[in-house]
Amino acid sequence: MSSSDPNKLISKADKLTKLSLTRWSADWKSATVLYEQAANGFRVSKDYENAKLAFEKASKGQEMLSSPWDAAKHMESAAALAKELRNWTEVIDFYRRASELYMQCDRPQPASDSLAKAARALEDALPDDAVQLYTDACVILEDDGKEQMAFDLYRAAASIYVKLEKYTDAATFLLRLGLAADKCNARNSQCKAYLSAIIVYLYAHDLQQAEKCYNDCSQIDAFLSSDQSRCASKLLSAYREGDVEEIKRVAHSSTISNLDNVIIKLARKLPTGDVAEIKGDADKGEEEALDEDDLT
Amino acid sequence: MTVIDLITRVDAICKKYEKYDIDKQKEANVAGGDDAFARLYGVFENEIDAAIQKSEAAATENNRATAVAMNAEVRRTKARLLEEIPKLQRLAQKKVKGVSKEELEARNDLVYALKDRIEAISDGSTAATKQTTGGWATSSSYTGIKFDSSSDGKFDSEYFQQTEESDRFRQEYEMRRMKQDQGLEVIAEGLDTLKNMAHDLNEELDRQVPLMDEIDDKVDRAASDLKSTNVRLKDTVHKMRSSRNFCIDIILLCIILGIAAYLYNVLK
Repeated sequence: MSSSDPNKLISKADKLTKLSLTRWSADWKSATVLYEQAANGFRVSKDYENAKLAFEKASKGQEMLSSPWDAAKHMESAAALAKELRNWTEVIDFYRRASELYMQCDRPQPASDSLAKAARALEDALPDDAVQLYTDACVILEDDGKEQMAFDLYRAAASIYVKLEKYTDAATFLLRLGLAADKCNARNSQCKAYLSAIIVYLYAHDLQQAEKCYNDCSQIDAFLSSDQSRCASKLLSAYREGDVEEIKRVAHSSTISNLDNVIIKLARKLPTGDVAEIKGDADKGEEEALDEDDLT
Repeated sequence: MTVIDLITRVDAICKKYEKYDIDKQKEANVAGGDDAFARLYGVFENEIDAAIQKSEAAATENNRATAVAMNAEVRRTKARLLEEIPKLQRLAQKKVKGVSKEELEARNDLVYALKDRIEAISDGSTAATKQTTGGWATSSSYTGIKFDSSSDGKFDSEYFQQTEESDRFRQEYEMRRMKQDQGLEVIAEGLDTLKNMAHDLNEELDRQVPLMDEIDDKVDRAASDLKSTNVRLKDTVHKMRSSRNFCIDIILLCIILGIAAYLYNVLK
């Protein structure tokens, strides 16, 4: 039976599930079995489109049999095949459905895993959706109290933002990562996250934001007494003095080389633009503040 | 105790406590009086005497540490005096009333002579040079972590003469020190990487601890389920195929066959 033509299996299964005069209730059990066999057969013969359909139907059958776990598993397989076909909307739909089914089973981890898989698949094609998926995955994990697993997801989301050149968003994500790390006492990751955020701000040529970020983070004891904060203060003082050599030296130091690859690339490209200009802006900013005071 | 002994003793004591003799001090100051040069010269002479005494004491000292300390004192005093020599020279040039022209020129010569006298004070360094250069051979091979950077100050030309040997040894010292610094930098970088890896490992293990606990629970539950299922299965198998039931089955079967055979015989 398993070696017979998958198409035949599918049609047979369809007949079992279709309600008609002779059939008053669909026989999902045998139908699901047939669907699974058909799907495997299609996958082996690399007929992705049909395999995907078969998996969809199998998943529906499992749902009817009230086993959401198997249903979710089939949905994931269908989504993987949709990825091969580069059918992105379907990928998103399938993975989301799979994640919902996992949540029905009361298993948040596989749920967030499937969203993460979806996001990874979409990184190149639809980066905005990918980021959305990553955020949802992180939310699921945080609700479950398992922030530690969320670190990788936050980092991946931040790197997508950096690719999209949305630096403030990237920095925000890194700060969220720092917050999650704080909750589970992961000091090293926390300090690295804050240092990465400061570097992203500097790369975006935004010295004020970077300084503000540094001041905010210095409120936290763990960061204040860490290597990373020393490195950050060196970097910021080098920026304030407009010393390009010093910036380059700090950027090549070992503290920064321990960060994420994307961040290292950014750090090596520092300083972007004219550092003296930043210095001038910083001074001008102070003068402007004084003027405002005078006016009032 | 003879009178002579008494007198010598009194003299010695008086000399020792001269500085407390206010009248004599005033006298000495008055003797200097308007002449600043003479005053300063007097001061210099006193200090030189004291230094010479100390150096002699150091030379005869058996305890090396005290000898070194005294030599250091002498060297310090010498340095100070040499610094003040220019002041004395300036004073010597000034014209002071009551002093003749020849005396003025004589004063200049006096100043130079003073300088030579100061430098001639032995402070054990000429003897020490040989010892230090000999000692470097052993200390440079001892590349332990010994950052005695305070000894750098002693390598000034004031303190000992620059012989060729000491120059070479100094260069070698600098080279080895630079190499040590480079090596230490490499080690520091390696340690940084190790530290980072260790921290990451720590966090990873922290992450896995609750997962392991979950696995533990689930496996325990599965094991107990299996055990109860096994027991039930055993009971069922017992009931189905126990040997007692088997024998009863065979006996009943034989009885039935016997009854069948009997009936067959009867009916035949």
